[in-house]
Amino acid sequence: MLTFARVSRLLALALSLFLVSCAEESPAPAAKESRGSVYRHAMDGAPTNLDPTQADSIYANFFAVNLYDTLFRYKYLARPYALEPNLAEELPQVSADGLIYTIRIKPGVRFNDDPAFEGGRGRVVTAADFVYSIKRHFDPNVRSMGSWLWAGKIVGMEEWRENGADYAEEVPGLRALDERTIQIQLIQPFPQLAHTLTQGYAAIVPREAVDHYGAEFSLNPVGSGPYRLESFDSARAVLIRNGGFRKEPFSLAREGFNPEQQSGLGLEELEGLTPPFIKRVEVEFINEDAARWNALVAGEVDFIKAPVSQLDSLLSSRNPPTLKPEFAEQYQMDASLESGLVFTYFNMSNPEIGQHPDPEVDERNRALRCAIVKGFDWQRRNEVFYYGIGQVFPGIIPPVTPEYDATQSFDYVTRDVEEAKDLLVRNGWTEDNLPTLEYGMVSGVTDRQMFEQFRSFMADIGYPTDKIRPLTFASYGDYARAYQNREIMLITLSWTMDYPDAENTIQLFYGPNASPGSNNSNYDNEGFNQLYRSSATMQPSPLRTTMYNNMNRMVMEDCVAISGLSRTLVLLWNRDFTMKPDRSFVGGSYFRFVQAPGDPDD
Amino acid sequence: MKYLLRKVSNSLLLVIGVTLVSFVLMVWFGPDRTYGLIGKNPTQEQIDQVRRQLGYDQPFFARYLDYLGDLATLDLGHSDSSGESVSALLARTVPITLALMLPGFVLGNLLAMILAMFSAWYRGGWLDRLISGLSVGSMSLSFLVIIIGLQVLLCTPYGLNLFPVRGWNVSDFGSYLYHVTVPTLALVLVSIGYNTRFYRSVFIEEAGRDHIMTVRAFGASPATIMGRHVMANSMAPIITRILFSVPLVVISGSLLIESYFGIPGVGKASFDAITSGDQPVLKAVVALTAVSFVLVQLAADLLYRAFDPRIEQAPENGSARA
Repeated sequence: MLTFARVSRLLALALSLFLVSCAEESPAPAAKESRGSVYRHAMDGAPTNLDPTQADSIYANFFAVNLYDTLFRYKYLARPYALEPNLAEELPQVSADGLIYTIRIKPGVRFNDDPAFEGGRGRVVTAADFVYSIKRHFDPNVRSMGSWLWAGKIVGMEEWRENGADYAEEVPGLRALDERTIQIQLIQPFPQLAHTLTQGYAAIVPREAVDHYGAEFSLNPVGSGPYRLESFDSARAVLIRNGGFRKEPFSLAREGFNPEQQSGLGLEELEGLTPPFIKRVEVEFINEDAARWNALVAGEVDFIKAPVSQLDSLLSSRNPPTLKPEFAEQYQMDASLESGLVFTYFNMSNPEIGQHPDPEVDERNRALRCAIVKGFDWQRRNEVFYYGIGQVFPGIIPPVTPEYDATQSFDYVTRDVEEAKDLLVRNGWTEDNLPTLEYGMVSGVTDRQMFEQFRSFMADIGYPTDKIRPLTFASYGDYARAYQNREIMLITLSWTMDYPDAENTIQLFYGPNASPGSNNSNYDNEGFNQLYRSSATMQPSPLRTTMYNNMNRMVMEDCVAISGLSRTLVLLWNRDFTMKPDRSFVGGSYFRFVQAPGDPDD
Repeated sequence: MKYLLRKVSNSLLLVIGVTLVSFVLMVWFGPDRTYGLIGKNPTQEQIDQVRRQLGYDQPFFARYLDYLGDLATLDLGHSDSSGESVSALLARTVPITLALMLPGFVLGNLLAMILAMFSAWYRGGWLDRLISGLSVGSMSLSFLVIIIGLQVLLCTPYGLNLFPVRGWNVSDFGSYLYHVTVPTLALVLVSIGYNTRFYRSVFIEEAGRDHIMTVRAFGASPATIMGRHVMANSMAPIITRILFSVPLVVISGSLLIESYFGIPGVGKASFDAITSGDQPVLKAVVALTAVSFVLVQLAADLLYRAFDPRIEQAPENGSARA
């Protein structure tokens, strides 16, 4: 008869044999080592689609700028960010009135070989391809997420769309003058135009591939970028170096190398080498913090954005963020501010808390919003949710923009409970007549914790906790529908900037952009609107910066938002790799400059 | 023939019922995909246009009839998120989930049956108490804790560092074992407690019956009693439990396993479709699940008969006789 002891011994033996045999048969040793010219990049999210018209997330944008060419990109190392020609021969020639942009593209650049082309061989990229690629955004059948960048800006584009989006019809403001010359004519000056042409949305696609693959073009990218796609699914994507990519030797000077800040990265060795250096990029999509961290320490990926939950064990100091010695031996770190902000809008179209036609009520509502702003503790928000390394700043111009004024007063983001209480009392607000606040959020632990923290801040200024209610939504889409339909009083959002110009955040408060547009506060201040209209067509200048800062002050005086904080992203990578990663405006363009250990410039 | 016709018609009704209920849930309670498909500064016209493209402007029953028509013609369409053909998506992901889940599913059930037999045979003894205690322990552990714990123990330098933390680069049997081992252990650990408790109660009930007492009195060995008599007579609940788990294993997969181990199976695809409101994928998954349950029900009917000859074909009035 089988006894328990015999059975347990047998089971233990079987399990041991199974584990050992699996491990021995496996390619474990090779998989655990850093492998030559392969860069394994972990992303904390995944694109669903590789069509540039859908490049709405930083993840999708990473792929678009690697698989396709854009006319411009940002210099790899220059901070503040600076434009650099990519497929374009040089930066655009702009007419004196700022309305006509002329751009020449480099000769002889070819799309990758693909069955979509006649004979399977990729053809030369032309100016007409750029024209076609931008027109796609205005084709009602394409469902572009990027058309807003150029909507109402290019002469004749709206008419082209309204007339049925016939690609054979020319758009007067978007023409290919010859094989290599693009001309863009604007309705009014748009100083950020060249910046928008760095984005994945502006990637250049061949019409043959769009026609050939139809709905599945989104999974079969055919571009002329530094990499081409080998495989893509919900867990990983593999990119292979485009052997035919144009040969442009790396230049530290051209890329904006700053020896004082970047000398420890080994970038000097790259001078004169020809990118893309890495033959194969394996991108792992790892949403879960624990799995991403385990993958790094197990040597299965070479790069991660460090989870906030690991920062305590990772860093020896917060200011400046410094790696503990045991990690510094293995990894390089970059701790940079995000190109964006987190903030909470008040819904200014809500009569209980927003703007009001009756001046007296309007002033009382403003006092209520200002009391809430003064009661909000940004330092604690930063400590609890961002490890204390985010940067709190007053208003809506994030520190990463060149227009940011570091000398301005920080009163707006300095908590003052007594002042908040005083504001409420002076304006006749009592526990009984305070309105019930509806705080919108997507269902999730962190969002709920943030809500509870907000509620505790408000309790400190005397706001009854039962008058602050969560409105929870199952998905971001549902949340967006609610705030774009003006159904929520307090809207907490993060905004990732599209280009390094504060106009991109200021337009979030421009009256005509009200919901369902990007101004989800529905703030409408004629003085602000006039300043915005005037500054929107101006090239960068001290005067424009002053106007931006005046608009910033208006938003704060009217207490339109509890704002803001830019998060610090801690990027961690295997020391063997020579690189300066970026999740901001350079984005995925840096892949071409990643150098693996011992990887020759072949 | 009548029996078969009745089964088929019942199955069709079941499929229609399941798809209708699911469709109601999808349409009225599912996420609105519109706002995930528009840019940062949309106009009302763009919003309306996307809603038209998604069919949101159509009456409910028109949409449901379209859905049934698509199913009848096996035209599953393309994913709203990725643009991939839904058929291709299922063909790509279902085999991965099967290969991922089956070892854990089979081992989790087999080991549980063995443990449950010992537990039932030594009912009330120290071995029974030990197995029951361990089962409760297994049931108390969070799946997430098991996954992360195994990853740390078996896949990182903090532990044995024998297996990959994640991935599914399967090219041969060796690489399959390399990638499937830790997920399988996680599945076994999380399911073995529930399974053992279930099978134990089934075996105990069966072991207390008169015919088992008779066999015992006859002097049969424990292995004969448990294997030939208790097990064989417990097959109906065992078949029910196993078969009705199969569609969930195949179609739903295990979201946590696939997410944490970076495996592109149908579980993660379904979850992504649910959270994003990707209705073409969701509709296909729902239909596939409903059809799988129908097939499982048919298979269960046949197996009941094979294991229990007393079950006869039901008469016209629909009642079965044992």
